[in-house]
Amino acid sequence: MTLSQSDFEFVSAMVRREAAIVLAPGKEYLVEARLIPVARQVGAASVAEFLANLQRKPNPADQRRIIDALTTNETSWFRDREPFTALTDVVLPDLLKSRATTRKLRIWSAASSSGQEAYSLAITMQEQLPAGWQYEIMGSDISTEMVKRAEAAEYSQVEVNRGLPASQLVQYFERAGAHWRIAQHLRRNVSFKHMNLTTPLPAMAPFDVIFLRNVLIYFDVATKKSVLRNVARLLRPDGWLFLGAAETTIGIDDNYERVAAGRTSAYRVRSAVPAGAVRKG
Amino acid sequence: MVIDDSRAMRMILKRIVAKLNFEAVEAGDGQEALDLLATMTEVPELALIDWNMPNMNGLEFVTKVRSEPRLREMTLVMVTTESEQSQIVRALAAGAHEYVIKPFTEGAMIEKLALLGLVPTGANS
Amino acid sequence: MSVETVVTQDDLAEMVEQVWASYLDPEGVSPLLPTGDDKQPTEVHSTVSITGTWHGHLVYASSMLAARRAAAAFLAMDADEVGAEDISDVLGELANIVGGNVKAMLPAGCFLSLPTVVLAPETASYYPAAERISGLWGQWEGESISISMWQSVKQGEAA
Repeated sequence: MTLSQSDFEFVSAMVRREAAIVLAPGKEYLVEARLIPVARQVGAASVAEFLANLQRKPNPADQRRIIDALTTNETSWFRDREPFTALTDVVLPDLLKSRATTRKLRIWSAASSSGQEAYSLAITMQEQLPAGWQYEIMGSDISTEMVKRAEAAEYSQVEVNRGLPASQLVQYFERAGAHWRIAQHLRRNVSFKHMNLTTPLPAMAPFDVIFLRNVLIYFDVATKKSVLRNVARLLRPDGWLFLGAAETTIGIDDNYERVAAGRTSAYRVRSAVPAGAVRKG
Repeated sequence: MVIDDSRAMRMILKRIVAKLNFEAVEAGDGQEALDLLATMTEVPELALIDWNMPNMNGLEFVTKVRSEPRLREMTLVMVTTESEQSQIVRALAAGAHEYVIKPFTEGAMIEKLALLGLVPTGANS
Repeated sequence: MSVETVVTQDDLAEMVEQVWASYLDPEGVSPLLPTGDDKQPTEVHSTVSITGTWHGHLVYASSMLAARRAAAAFLAMDADEVGAEDISDVLGELANIVGGNVKAMLPAGCFLSLPTVVLAPETASYYPAAERISGLWGQWEGESISISMWQSVKQGEAA
């Protein structure tokens, strides 16, 4: 049983469009092998049936499963580095001034997957916040399985090798059998929730910083608009939004303004940015 | 410089650093590496170092390199199956800059070298 | 009862999966498929010994062809270009990698030996006063591979 040519083209077009990954012809066997467990997971009888259903009725959750299956091990700590550098160098100095009375920050890792981004944010806060400050990180994901994984906070040897400096591995993790577990002092500041960003979001206290990276790429324009609108309600008026390097609000939602943040860009709600406070990107 | 008693592991590491445009010399243990360094006029930028090797192990090698002013500029990365927290702490305390646990994927190794500023931008994909 | 089953079959399976993903099957298309058959014949094997607060051995064994293919994958060569020295080298490194990860799961204060490689069936080696406490038996591209852990009985029974 091998993938049909049209199914292969459907999958390769999708991953090229949404994850910038090129699947050369000849990789049919690879796609098939990776999609068998995905098809089983969603209750399809075969990969062919799974792909037929998806082509008839597109849905972002299944698209994301495919991308995840074809990009295993892509999740790194401090993924892409630049947003974390910008957080430290640009965003935190700003927030340390504006939140000097409450001394508390809330950060949301939207689409947190297995949790590396949320815990990377926690490590950053742990190292950068002055004494006496508090922080809360919330991760959310559409997959309840991923939420459970992130809550368990256990990572394999191969996973902790990815982009994590050894000094932070020994400082923020502890050995748990064959795995490494995030240390309790970090875990107590991080929580995870099951959440679908395309539906109205539950009422929550707003966030100072939102990482919404590599999520919009999975959606059509109408859905992108509603996700950005949903997220804007949960971003403090002077808060900061980070998107993936290939994503933007420009042409989708004019309420946001792109601003330079270190060597990358962030987005802020337009009316709130005091003129001249930040250089436009 | 790639220091490992397994020729196969040296090959894997050499293939990875070749992608980053490093030319690598090989040594099968710490002593051989020190002997080789003594003959080299130009000190290598980077050493990837196994821990468990005959003659001189990787930790002793790191300690020796750190006590040698001529070798001060070398970036030292342990690449080893030794994976207890206490071992990582020992290696970092002895002067290793990074620590990669075997088994590692090519992507993971490149990311670690990127942390050390050894990967030209654009090469990391 | 041996000292708590410190390293289970699942732990070994996970380590093997990581070794495969890193070196032997980076595309994730030819995994080691467990058979559970602890009698499957092997032709070559390598051992690392663990001493200190825990005493025992980790044994990696396989058919000659599986060892040849593993060496070819490590060295980026064709399987028919691989020599006996290459096979020994790779078998030793495989035992070393799994052994080091196993050691990290044992009580603190253990040491890992350099690997010993024997180009003969696993049954050619005898581990005095040691018993097998866990193992993983499987097939890789139709060839036998096993990883087993042996604990020195004296220490296990004295507890």
